[in-house]
Amino acid sequence: MNFDINTIVYILEILVGGLLVGIGVHFVPVGGAPAAMAQATGIGTGTVQLAAGSGLTGLLAAGLMMSVTDNLWLILASGAVGAGIMIGSTMLTGSWIYAYAVGAPFASAKVNYDPITGFSQPPYVAPGTVGQGIPTICFVSGLIGGMMGGLGGAMIYYPLYLINGNAALSAMFAIGIFLVNAVLASWNIQGTIEGFHDPKFKKWPFAFRACAIASILLALAAVLITGGA
Amino acid sequence: MDAFSMGLIAAMGALATVAGASEDIESDVGSQSNPNSQVQLAAQVGNPHRIYNKAISGEPPANALWAATAAMVAYTLITAFQMPALFALVAGASVAALFNGVFAISAYFGRNSSQRRFNQWVYLDIVRYTTPSIMAHAWITSFCIATISYIMVYMLPIHHPFPMPIIALIWGLAVGAIGSSVGDIHYGGEREFQNRQFGCGLNTMLSGQIVRKAEAGLRNSIDNAWFCTKFGGPATGMGFGLTVFLDNWRTTVFDPVTQASLAIAMGIFFIIVEVFYNLYIEKSARRKYGPYPEYKGDIAA
Repeated sequence: MNFDINTIVYILEILVGGLLVGIGVHFVPVGGAPAAMAQATGIGTGTVQLAAGSGLTGLLAAGLMMSVTDNLWLILASGAVGAGIMIGSTMLTGSWIYAYAVGAPFASAKVNYDPITGFSQPPYVAPGTVGQGIPTICFVSGLIGGMMGGLGGAMIYYPLYLINGNAALSAMFAIGIFLVNAVLASWNIQGTIEGFHDPKFKKWPFAFRACAIASILLALAAVLITGGA
Repeated sequence: MDAFSMGLIAAMGALATVAGASEDIESDVGSQSNPNSQVQLAAQVGNPHRIYNKAISGEPPANALWAATAAMVAYTLITAFQMPALFALVAGASVAALFNGVFAISAYFGRNSSQRRFNQWVYLDIVRYTTPSIMAHAWITSFCIATISYIMVYMLPIHHPFPMPIIALIWGLAVGAIGSSVGDIHYGGEREFQNRQFGCGLNTMLSGQIVRKAEAGLRNSIDNAWFCTKFGGPATGMGFGLTVFLDNWRTTVFDPVTQASLAIAMGIFFIIVEVFYNLYIEKSARRKYGPYPEYKGDIAA
């Protein structure tokens, strides 16, 4: 393959996609194992797991859209919306369990009032826990994060598919680059975060730098390897 | 859009609902998920138990492995040996269930024998009774997901460009993520700690104090599956079914070639509806349950 200006544009697109994934993970309200015991606010699973689940669902939607159109904006929007539907459905059904099976009201322990609805939070935090359930602020933050992940996944897939025209190869590389950035970001947030209102969210510049370095290296490898195939 | 592809979308939604439910029950009966941290901790704080314990991997990668294995075997049988699709999918799911059995048994032996110093036993009868149930649920999950991938690649009017195993890998990751975000809360937040006060999360002081006695005798993982089938499993199924159905419905009803923006707008509409539904649940839970009486701060409820 020729290393021309287009190749540099492709590498930059993969870099932006990787950064979107890395920052998007910070928005997803994950409580890890404590949230599965209704001991912490957020979704009861790991950061990478949920980001990968939603972002890659977006990748499926983006791949379908890319097989019928070349319009970058439609492909990106399709990826974001596919991921948003997945993470929205997950948080909604999770809320059923918190409200109707555990029988607990939703509350965040990181803020006194929900910035969106204005509901007071501390009176609804169960004793011995740090909040439970998915309040509106976490839901909205999760949607933003999931959609950024889907957008990032589509952004990584798009240039790879243009380089080699092989959907399967591009999808596998996109999944790999996606997971590397998601794991780097989840180290930064140390397992649990409630969303953009969480004080931990301010640490995102560290993940930004790490993901930028990792994405550049991966983009170079991905472009050279899949382009040479 | 025609009636046939609409029927296919409905079938995919139904298969996804079954896959989600069986995935959650599989993780509950094998105790492979976030709540297993308490099962693992129980023996260490002096509560040896008869719960299965196979959490050597997160649910999403494990289910991605089984779904992709099933789809890969089916894809090979269909393309290289021209086998009928249904037969190939059944054979693929059976291979995936065997993988699952090996995974479950080796994980159980490894996890429990490593806790020998805490007086935790390896129960061979638990392995004999519980493992087939775990494998059966894994069979259902991988069959349903491989079938969804087959429909997306070969039967829908716009064939998906990804090959079957990659689609199954992605749906496997998604079903694992949903199972561990939704159904596990019913297992960890409710079933493992039925002996404490209802209506709140687990107090940190009670970590590891899981319920070890059943209605009759000692509780095992089959009892947990019985309980979680009542709500956690179906809710997970609804989560995954909604994801697969809504995502594919909008690109089937609206032709992606000519009406792509309508398909995207419909997706955004679904997301907005979900935000308001969650707000409704939050409001009704606050109204019905009220603040905790132990609260001593000065912020009004």
